[in-house]
Amino acid sequence: MTSPTRSHREVVVTNASGLHARPAADFAAMAARFDADIHVSKERRNVDGKSVLLLLTLDVRYGDSVSIDAIGPDAARAVEALCELVAS
Amino acid sequence: MRSLRGLPVSPGAVDAAVYLYLPDSYEVPAAWPDPPEKAVAELVAALDEVAASFTASATNATGDVADILRAQAAIAADPALRRAAEAAIHAGSHPARALLAAGDTFAATLEQSGNDYLSARAPDVRHICDAAARRLVGISARQPPRPTSPCVIVAADLMPADTATLPTDLVCGIVTAHGSRTSHTSVIARSLGIPAVVGVPGLLKLAESATHIALDGSTGEVVLDPDAATRARITRTRQQRQQQLERLREAAGTGRTTTVDGTHIEVAANVSGAEELAHALDQGAEAVGLLRTELLYRGRREPPSADEQVQMLRSLRELLGERRLLVRTFDIGADKQVPFLPVRPERNPELGLRGLRLARTHPDLLDTQLRAIASVAATGPTAVMAPMVATLDDARWFRSRVEAAAMPAHVEVGVMVEVPALALTADQLSPYVDFVSIGTNDLGQYLFAADRRDEAMAELLDPFAPALLRAVASVCRGMAGEAWIGICGEAASDPAWALLAVGLGVTELSMQAVAIPEVRAALRTVTVEACRAAATRALACASAVEAREIGTSLVKETT
Repeated sequence: MTSPTRSHREVVVTNASGLHARPAADFAAMAARFDADIHVSKERRNVDGKSVLLLLTLDVRYGDSVSIDAIGPDAARAVEALCELVAS
Repeated sequence: MRSLRGLPVSPGAVDAAVYLYLPDSYEVPAAWPDPPEKAVAELVAALDEVAASFTASATNATGDVADILRAQAAIAADPALRRAAEAAIHAGSHPARALLAAGDTFAATLEQSGNDYLSARAPDVRHICDAAARRLVGISARQPPRPTSPCVIVAADLMPADTATLPTDLVCGIVTAHGSRTSHTSVIARSLGIPAVVGVPGLLKLAESATHIALDGSTGEVVLDPDAATRARITRTRQQRQQQLERLREAAGTGRTTTVDGTHIEVAANVSGAEELAHALDQGAEAVGLLRTELLYRGRREPPSADEQVQMLRSLRELLGERRLLVRTFDIGADKQVPFLPVRPERNPELGLRGLRLARTHPDLLDTQLRAIASVAATGPTAVMAPMVATLDDARWFRSRVEAAAMPAHVEVGVMVEVPALALTADQLSPYVDFVSIGTNDLGQYLFAADRRDEAMAELLDPFAPALLRAVASVCRGMAGEAWIGICGEAASDPAWALLAVGLGVTELSMQAVAIPEVRAALRTVTVEACRAAATRALACASAVEAREIGTSLVKETT
């Protein structure tokens, strides 16, 4: 078994509508594809990145800075893919 | 016999059989007999089924609709929601009960966020948990009430879908455990003239064993299984109210409303459907001064077709005969979102993309609606107006869309004045409109920078505020002789305010049905000259309180 690895990155959200509705659902769906535990935090609030409801409560808007934190075998790939999703 | 008390929200006294409507309170056993692992498995299966059904609908849909459905499927698949429900299951709860509780917690968090966009997602969460919970207890989807004999509907609360098909000839009254003066149940009851009391604590448990119920929608009194003396008293109250209404109707007269000097002031009704219109005509409405069309658009996955809109307009036209039908094009946005348009988070939706602004970004939606109006317009006097118009260019653009829709020549084209910017430029508006209708609720909100849904702002939003009266005066001065001016805000239903508006130059007043007889009666006892003199004094007042006194004394002096 691969030992858990950790990956972490700060990213500025450049989706026009931040992480609301469809973008939040897309984010959670993509996060769910990875084995790693994924957390998203904004202004010291930290939530499960696979939960669309918790992502919504973060109220992430265009231009906000968030940090994405993953722990698990595919952590690095997860963080890379998710950063690309929100900053594209 | 058992006496209860609630909030009186729609006047009238009645006593009839209980019709207990409990679509929400399906039996959910408190405990679960099998091992919790089995409950968790069933929970997961139910949520997966709900997620799958939304995903399947999303595949058949396109564009924004598909996006919304996918977002809803994501809620059903949400791991945090599942974890919360699982924790309750392991504590011994039935899976349906655990899920409903978890959904409530998430929905409440969204509602309390203080963010309109997030609050508006709360019903999605409740809807999805309800759908899965129904699967877990094996019952079918929520059905509207279907009484077959005269009754009083007793419920927790009524949703728009429950009242859309209400048989108004059978429903004598409504009593609910929850709700406030402005909740859906109250608004619908008043607009249909059905006596109602809401917010009655302990109602549902006590009503389970009751067969009869009496209520007084003026006092908030509710009596389960009333004795002979109570029934006699309620009957007396009903008769007295009827006599009062008859006296008022006699004072209100029939046909056109004219002042003492013979000036015709049209008293019209704000309605959103045929049932409400029938009631308004009964109250003496001379026309429809505001047809709200949003209901056709709300809670749907696709916009209504032109045919569907034509059908709705025809049903109103049949009742109206030769009386005018004034249709307001869809006022979607802000607090009235629809599932088929992309949800665009706005920091302040009241100041965002709503009304005509939304129509300008989706002209196809407006064109479809205008085509529907055009095809019905040939059958009688028709007017069409746009909401949330801020600039002359908005008005010009709206007129160009109306002309492009092959509208018959007799159709009057107008705009709502609810943005102060438009009230200030009304003197330049007449090339584009045949009339304007002033929406005093929103005009007051934007004029005073005061949220009209915030109770703490109520004092600022007094319609007698001299600033609001001056805004109305500015519109009347700017358009004098060029276009007619109406009012479709709540202020029109106060006789004292209505007389001041007539004094400023308004010739049409549109209001909810219940206010019509009183306003008609007041108009029939004044001269326009007296209204004009009072209005001039009111404009010079330093406060709403003083202006209100001037209006009130005009009503008192003459009745």
